[in-house]
Amino acid sequence: MSSGKVIEPPPETKRKPGQVKRSVRRLESKAKVDGSAEYIHNLSLPGMLYGKIARSSIPHGKIRSIDAAAALALEGVHAVITGEDVRRLIPDPYYGPAFHDQPILALEKVRYVGEPVAVVLALDPHVAEEAADLIAVEYDPLEPVFDEVAAAKAGAPIVHDILKPAATFPDLKHLEGQSGTNVALSSRVRRGDLERGFQESDQIFEHTFRNGKVIHAALEPYVTVAEMAGPDALTIHTASQSPSFVRSEVSRLLGWPENRVRVRTAFLGGGFGGKLYIKLEALVAACTLLVRKPVRIALTMEEQFYTITKHGATVRVKTGVKNDGRILAREVETWWNGGAYADIGPRVAQKSGLTSSGPYDIENIGIDSHAIYTNEPPAGALRGFGVSQVVWAYESQTDIIARALRIDPLEFRRRNILREGRPHATGMLMSDIDIDAILDRLAERMDWDRPFDHGSGPIRRGRGIAIGMKACVAPTTSVAMVNIYGDGSCGICCSTVDMGQGSDTAMAQIAAEILGLSAESIRVIHPDTDVTPYDMATLGSRSTYHMGNAVRRAAEDARTQLLRMAATALKTDMEELECRDGAVIARSGARMTIRDVMVARFAMQAGNIIGVGSFIPPYEKPDHDTGQSRQITPFWMLGGAGAEIEVDTETGRIRVTKLVNVGDAGSAINPEIVERQLIGAGTMQFGFTVFEEMIFSEGQVLNASFADYKIPGMLDLPHDLTGELVEVPHQHGPFGAKGIGETGMFCVSPAIGNALYDAIEVRVTEMPLTPERVLRALREAKDQPLGSDE
Amino acid sequence: MRSFDLVEPATLDEAVALLDSQDKSVRAIAGGTALMLMMKTRLFQPTRLVSLRRVNGELRGIRMNGDGGLRIGAMTSLAELEYSPMLASAYPVMSQALRTLSNIRIRNVATLGGHLAHGDPHMDLPPILITLDAKVSAASKRGQRWIGVSDLFAGYYQTSLATDELITAVHVPSQPLGVCCWYEKFTARSADDWPTVGAAVWYSVHSNVITEARVAVSAATDRPMRIAAAEAALTNAPPTAQVFSKAADAAADEVQPISDLHGSASYKREMVRVHVRRALERALNLRSNGAG
Repeated sequence: MSSGKVIEPPPETKRKPGQVKRSVRRLESKAKVDGSAEYIHNLSLPGMLYGKIARSSIPHGKIRSIDAAAALALEGVHAVITGEDVRRLIPDPYYGPAFHDQPILALEKVRYVGEPVAVVLALDPHVAEEAADLIAVEYDPLEPVFDEVAAAKAGAPIVHDILKPAATFPDLKHLEGQSGTNVALSSRVRRGDLERGFQESDQIFEHTFRNGKVIHAALEPYVTVAEMAGPDALTIHTASQSPSFVRSEVSRLLGWPENRVRVRTAFLGGGFGGKLYIKLEALVAACTLLVRKPVRIALTMEEQFYTITKHGATVRVKTGVKNDGRILAREVETWWNGGAYADIGPRVAQKSGLTSSGPYDIENIGIDSHAIYTNEPPAGALRGFGVSQVVWAYESQTDIIARALRIDPLEFRRRNILREGRPHATGMLMSDIDIDAILDRLAERMDWDRPFDHGSGPIRRGRGIAIGMKACVAPTTSVAMVNIYGDGSCGICCSTVDMGQGSDTAMAQIAAEILGLSAESIRVIHPDTDVTPYDMATLGSRSTYHMGNAVRRAAEDARTQLLRMAATALKTDMEELECRDGAVIARSGARMTIRDVMVARFAMQAGNIIGVGSFIPPYEKPDHDTGQSRQITPFWMLGGAGAEIEVDTETGRIRVTKLVNVGDAGSAINPEIVERQLIGAGTMQFGFTVFEEMIFSEGQVLNASFADYKIPGMLDLPHDLTGELVEVPHQHGPFGAKGIGETGMFCVSPAIGNALYDAIEVRVTEMPLTPERVLRALREAKDQPLGSDE
Repeated sequence: MRSFDLVEPATLDEAVALLDSQDKSVRAIAGGTALMLMMKTRLFQPTRLVSLRRVNGELRGIRMNGDGGLRIGAMTSLAELEYSPMLASAYPVMSQALRTLSNIRIRNVATLGGHLAHGDPHMDLPPILITLDAKVSAASKRGQRWIGVSDLFAGYYQTSLATDELITAVHVPSQPLGVCCWYEKFTARSADDWPTVGAAVWYSVHSNVITEARVAVSAATDRPMRIAAAEAALTNAPPTAQVFSKAADAAADEVQPISDLHGSASYKREMVRVHVRRALERALNLRSNGAG
């Protein structure tokens, strides 16, 4: 356990000797403190032009004309680029990971307020900004649609005339060319006999839960710089979580082979799922090719609100139970507000849909999950990939049911959780999990068995818990190289992006463990598609498991080569040798440093040993109609949260006094970083729960700035804020590890919502739980409603 | 951001001379915390900014007046006020409010003059200064004049200052011994958000009767303002929970809240009721604890 308000405690005493399962300090700590850590945001190239985006002022409409004359007349403006200019370079300039639906710059139509319509390029960023204001666009407005449920209905205004799924996903192929719908994807899971399950139930509960849109709020906004690398090649420097995808997608758009596009990243000032797939990269690449000069586009904090958001969602949950507390049937239908472009939204709908019946052993299940286009900014991945929206729904309802049945909420969960060997809703048998251990830890840390003081007077107290699950994304590939240099030092080449989660340190620990080096001595080379091998992306808590396994294999490959060379030098068998303490040591006691081995092989301090590893976990595509699969995920992610809160019944303000976040990390590679990941995610979701919300009016974000969109500060955090590790080793994880980056997001909202009910017996079904929303619900319940607006 | 002239006069006279009574795109800039936000969002596009940075000496600092009150230079930063022992002993209600006013980065550069001249109804110090009966000294080419802080605010982001007029100092009178003061701030989102409601109270109690009372509300309304009905409900009444509640109801009835991102009008009206009452109660508790 560690307390959330201490920034960096002294290094924990070693759990046991070795490089993994040790709280190694982050390799980059010093560079981040002294300011020498590299960020793309700080990159400046000679002769670089600054781009400023002119954006749509309406949510839906046809572009009648774009008049750039005034902008071009402004002194210092180098060029103005529109969608038609891009189309001359790239005949089909639509991109996206699931659908090729997003134009690099708007073509013919705009679909949300803030959509990029033109770019001004100038040597001075202020000139570019002023000129962008001078671009006059005339529109013929079309009727917009904003609500996800309304947009799914027949007769709603249509956002995209024709659906254009990307060829990379065979399961979207049937959608190709469909028209007259805003439903980008409907995904299903069917198990057992839902109708019979409800018939045999003693009680049926049905509720609808909602949450609004929020954003990633990374401290480093989106930034991309591109330059020509000779006459027919491009280098893209970008703050991206998915450099490999950027290379493939930009190459596809240009019709180039991938070897002519180089994509590199540095440290990211936060990603959280926002910096995935294509954000500015295609636009900056197109600008660079059109003007043949380096171009930089860096968004302001305000522009982030018009780039990518978390999904707003409406979730309807219907559950049938026996009076003894067994859940017999559950039906979940979710509408995901995907905004104007699909981005990865259809995948969010599908992947979060498939676990939306929760970590419960239920025989009869029906799940429908719909990705919906609307005229709001696009929604995509945000730390949890839709899971926190569905957990908010099903765990709020779990609390409702337990209370209705007069069963303790923790005990009610115990009676229904999935256990090792039991089938998940998708049919896959659960393995390497222990939800009982999570409940045990929650009970212990929350003192669940002790009486709880609910307070009196205007401040009431309550406590609540929730559990949740995610299926790690599949199928995905990671490739890594481990490079041992002539002097025996070691570098890891991998395309995992360290965006603050500590992946450099974890990868170094894994390679170090195998090569008998210290993690601190290893250098991790940051993603550069000319240098580092393919990785699907840094997302979905997949890196430790997937890239960790690839690095482990690469290190094992390097070790095999090293030992073979040493065996020759020592005239012994490889089996007699091991890597330990920076050297190769024989059972006989003979010892060679790695440099000695290299010198013996290459006659001087020279050469390389290059170990290669790749990792693709097994996967079985789910059945289209039933969602059934024997292998839907490489590993299950499980977590739980407990909250104690105070509610000011006169203002509706919630103060969270205690927040416990429990996560199963498998065998943690770096326990300290894992605890901090849980605390960090818990803090983020805490903000989403109590006050973060994008407020829209006719598609316009009214609070698109950090003056008006508030994220939690130190004074807002629960005083007692902890991350709790439960370690259930995974048989195929590197040294038993699983991913944990998102787990702390899952359960915070319903834990707080359930605590709210415990405190004031009022159920709020829509997030965030702002003081006004809570007070209105409370006064409604007391039959003393607050007036509607004056 | 369009280019503009930045001038840095060395004296107050030069600064005043550089302002323009006709041209609203000429503005004085001190800490810039509010003005820069308006410029970044292009709500305000200056042609000339008159920086008061170098006028510091003349306009900065806190000193005791002949009458026992304090004169605070307009360029005094909010952090300097926060850490001033003189302020803490004379007006603990101000020191207390400064600790949670925005955040330390803002307080380090924002100035008292700018805090007032901006005319933003969400600022913390205006309602307090109104209840303390403070006044500002304003200078222009036409000379110097006094404006009561309660008369300074003319509407939403509007003040009674002329376009070419500068606040040079704030005078806060000495306060009667044992006066009950408190500022209650309510933020609906993060702790460092602008308030949904600010409620400042000031009253004297003699022989268990409130002899004089001032109540000011900010943030919920288009400008910080005194609430006469609440003051009337308190005056000549005993300081009891019932009286405080009546005064709070009167305040809620009198204010005309505006709906915005911090809350709907009806919610703000309710929050005025709650926080005026709480401010009145806390002010009394503080006095009886000997801390006021």
